[in-house]
Amino acid sequence: MTTAQILVTAGGVALCIFIAWFFWFAPKGQTRAATGAGGAQEVAVTVKGGYTPDVIVVKAGQPVRLHFTRRESSACSEKVLFPDFNQSVLLPAGQEVTLEFTPEKPGEYGFQCQMGMLRGKLIVE
Amino acid sequence: MTVKDPVCSMEIDPKTAFATREHMGQTFHFCSENCVKQFDADPHQYALSGSATTGFNPDLRRARLELPVVELKDGKPQTAESVEAALKALPGVSKVNANRKTGTASVEYDPATTSAQMVTALRSAGFRVGGAQVRIGIENLRCASCVRFIEDELKSTPDVLSASVNVATQEATVEYLPEKTALAQLNVAIEKWGYKPRPALSEAPEDEQEAAHAHEYRRLMNRFWFAAVVSIPVLLTAYPQYVPLVRDWSMATLRLAWGLAALVTLPVLFWSGSDFFSGAWAALKHRSANMNTLIALGTAAAWLYSSFAIAFSSLFPEGTSEPFYDVVAVVIALVVLGQALELRAKGQSSAAIKKLLGLQAKTARVIRDGQEMDITVEEVLVGDVIQVRPGEKVPVDGVLIEGGSSVDESMLTGESLPVSKKSGDEVIGATLNKTGAFKFRATKVGKDTALAQIVKMVQDAQNSKAPIARLADTVFGYFVPVVMMLAVLTFVVWFNFGPQPRLVYALVTSVTVLIIACPCALGLATLMSLMVGIGKGAENSILIRSGEALQTAQGIKVVVLDKTGTITKGKPELTDVVLANSGWQIADSEPSSTLRYQPLAISDLLRLAASVERSSEHPLAEAIVEGAKARGIALTEPTAFEAVPGHGVIATVEGRWMVIGNLKMMNRESIALGVLEEKSKALADDGKTPMFAAVDSQAAGILAVADTVKEDSVEAIAALQKMGIEVVMVTGDNRRTAEAIARKVGITRVLAEVLPEDKAHNVHLLQADPAGKRGAGGRKVAMVGDGINDAPALAQADVGLAIGTGTDVAIEASDITLIKGSLKGVATAIEVSRATMGNIKQNLFGAFIYNALGVPVAMGVLYPFLGLLLSPLIAGAAMAFSSVTVVGNANRLRGFEPKFSAK
Repeated sequence: MTTAQILVTAGGVALCIFIAWFFWFAPKGQTRAATGAGGAQEVAVTVKGGYTPDVIVVKAGQPVRLHFTRRESSACSEKVLFPDFNQSVLLPAGQEVTLEFTPEKPGEYGFQCQMGMLRGKLIVE
Repeated sequence: MTVKDPVCSMEIDPKTAFATREHMGQTFHFCSENCVKQFDADPHQYALSGSATTGFNPDLRRARLELPVVELKDGKPQTAESVEAALKALPGVSKVNANRKTGTASVEYDPATTSAQMVTALRSAGFRVGGAQVRIGIENLRCASCVRFIEDELKSTPDVLSASVNVATQEATVEYLPEKTALAQLNVAIEKWGYKPRPALSEAPEDEQEAAHAHEYRRLMNRFWFAAVVSIPVLLTAYPQYVPLVRDWSMATLRLAWGLAALVTLPVLFWSGSDFFSGAWAALKHRSANMNTLIALGTAAAWLYSSFAIAFSSLFPEGTSEPFYDVVAVVIALVVLGQALELRAKGQSSAAIKKLLGLQAKTARVIRDGQEMDITVEEVLVGDVIQVRPGEKVPVDGVLIEGGSSVDESMLTGESLPVSKKSGDEVIGATLNKTGAFKFRATKVGKDTALAQIVKMVQDAQNSKAPIARLADTVFGYFVPVVMMLAVLTFVVWFNFGPQPRLVYALVTSVTVLIIACPCALGLATLMSLMVGIGKGAENSILIRSGEALQTAQGIKVVVLDKTGTITKGKPELTDVVLANSGWQIADSEPSSTLRYQPLAISDLLRLAASVERSSEHPLAEAIVEGAKARGIALTEPTAFEAVPGHGVIATVEGRWMVIGNLKMMNRESIALGVLEEKSKALADDGKTPMFAAVDSQAAGILAVADTVKEDSVEAIAALQKMGIEVVMVTGDNRRTAEAIARKVGITRVLAEVLPEDKAHNVHLLQADPAGKRGAGGRKVAMVGDGINDAPALAQADVGLAIGTGTDVAIEASDITLIKGSLKGVATAIEVSRATMGNIKQNLFGAFIYNALGVPVAMGVLYPFLGLLLSPLIAGAAMAFSSVTVVGNANRLRGFEPKFSAK
């Protein structure tokens, strides 16, 4: 094996480990919903190439109010779905759209765009 | 000194004015020909406008206004006080009376103060004014200065609370008191300024979405064409050995051409492909990766390698300093084209919703303040009185208050015959008025109407998830990082063990791996089919509530049918009239020796019996009366009517003493039945309820009444059985009646005399039935019922199907609702489910196989055996069209026609 080959091999292995760590094992930032005056837990989510924030922590049994604003025209993100709650809402570009529901059971629930390219997680405690 | 042009409000010098006019003792100066022309057209209007900003003449009499204040209704007394205080603080407001009951503040004011000012005052005091909002498009609105004029004009229109005009969108947003202002007045205000109002881009989300799609499609196509045009020269220079002229170029010329290619592909990367990079970056920030990441990595790697290779060619081993700009341009062009085509195909998938929305009436003729006016259906308010003429659609849901008609409700309730409506009856929006004219009061508008609810339900279901999608979801979470690792692995392997030039092979194969992998196809596979399938159901009047229900429905092995109201009409009908062989003494005034007996006609018996039963309120009696009427028999008035509870009735009709009732009644009146008793047993065995009729103490015949089977129940049950599904009947009725009905419709397994609360238990027993082939797991059981008392059984079943109207609350308890009352819907629902699930499986299989074959081939696993390597260009094409194929396959479902349509 030449030096170049050894270097490339070592680099490749390192890169693979980094990819696995970066996407799967590194801790993710969570956003805790703020409870508003009406008792609803409110979070503003920006939709652009992904959901910001994408990991949202809420309490069970209290209404959750998510304000989505889509800042792109790509048709991919035109709908946000909460399949576990049977909720979906159309997000016209540039408009704030509010989705409200009450998660009853603690657990982790995914939300996503129609084709599942953009994903987020709602953690109910 | 300057003066104001009354038309455009521009400050001008009177000496340099374009023209002057005298009107009503005033002199007006104008800035341009245009303004003069406008003034000449209607001088009075400008002469009256005292204030250029409000358009109001302060000399006009005082005005009155009722402002709906949202927080005022049923608020605390202090609220009313502060509302009054806020308004009184305004100059020109003389009297304010806030009414907490109605939630309105009535204001008397000087018209110099506009209602807009009052709204502002209320808002700053912390209140909201409950106005309606409308958007009006304005054609060719270009000059920014005109915006203010139109705004002022709109604001000065009576009952307008606020108005703002947006030049960018060419739209005016007007808040107004909907009780009074009609859209037409607002349009007039815009026309006054010489502009043409047009309907705003519809506020219906579906239309908005369509407009957004069209816009996005154009955007993508522009990007595609740019990338495609750039691809041509880049491709020609990429393979110089195959292109006649380029073949002869010197290495120096070629190098220059490659340098140019590097430059022209940059805008392709960062304009045509900007979505990939911004998307990849956004995903990266969230520590996630998707299709954008793969395309961005692949194309960026190709571009960077190429640029290094030509810039520092001396550093690269012999034969490896070749550029791959063609990969950059062509792959981006193809993937963008794929996205555009996918978008187009997606639009077709929501056709079902559009069809449903198409049922809605566009306008309504409301009567406000005694005046009829046509307004758009969005403007209709709860409480409005609406006039509907024959042949028109009912615009919203409401209660009929005047007139009467028959209404075709088939589109929503499945009732095939027009339903007659009289005062107090409910009318449903989107149904068709057939014969008469009527007025009704709106009770539900906008998103509360039955139709809107149905649309919402279908949309929610379309976006729910079928359990089958879970596998794809799990795979999805690992997919992109795994592909990235495979690309790295490919690079390393080719670099270590590949043929020369190793670096080129390593790079090309790893880029191909990145490009060919298509996570989108996986994500789209179930979703698109579900959307089309549930839409297909809706087209056939079947509301499937979720993807889960749709998936479960395909595996149904047993269908439990409730008898009353599901298999049968749920209403007794006259089925048989049997005559006793005895005749009927036609004239008792004649001497007894010459008594003549004439055979009694069926119509005579029916006439006499029905005339008696007219006075009875028993449901069986009603069936006899209806039966007689349906046969065109005119009834007479009975006298001496007497009902004997548990027995029957006695009355005198046309001078004849009639006794109608059961066996007990006949025994009580000592009427000999003879052969009739035998016949009645046969009728009872047939599931009918026989009633004896005696005329003048002579047994005359039997009238049999039964709950009859719906016209198409037999066909529907046969269809289900043909599909290999066991059909079971469950009923609270006695076994004899139940079995008679079961025989008629071809059901062999009958669960009779089941109490309503035991229905769910029976469903459970069927689910656990060891007769099912799958043993312990039992069989998938569907329950079909029509009412609230079936709700527990509907919930217990794997799939609960409610037969009911679109407005019924019972929908909530079921997984699938058959809007049309027909049982055929059950077969149709299962058919739709099977077709959709088949389609989903094809899509998932396709998407998995595509990736499972495509990625290894791209890695070069076939190279050692066949010498086969995939070109990154082909990989790009394959990736772009794999998702188009998935959407296209889902759209194939649109052509699916159920064999047993309930239509």
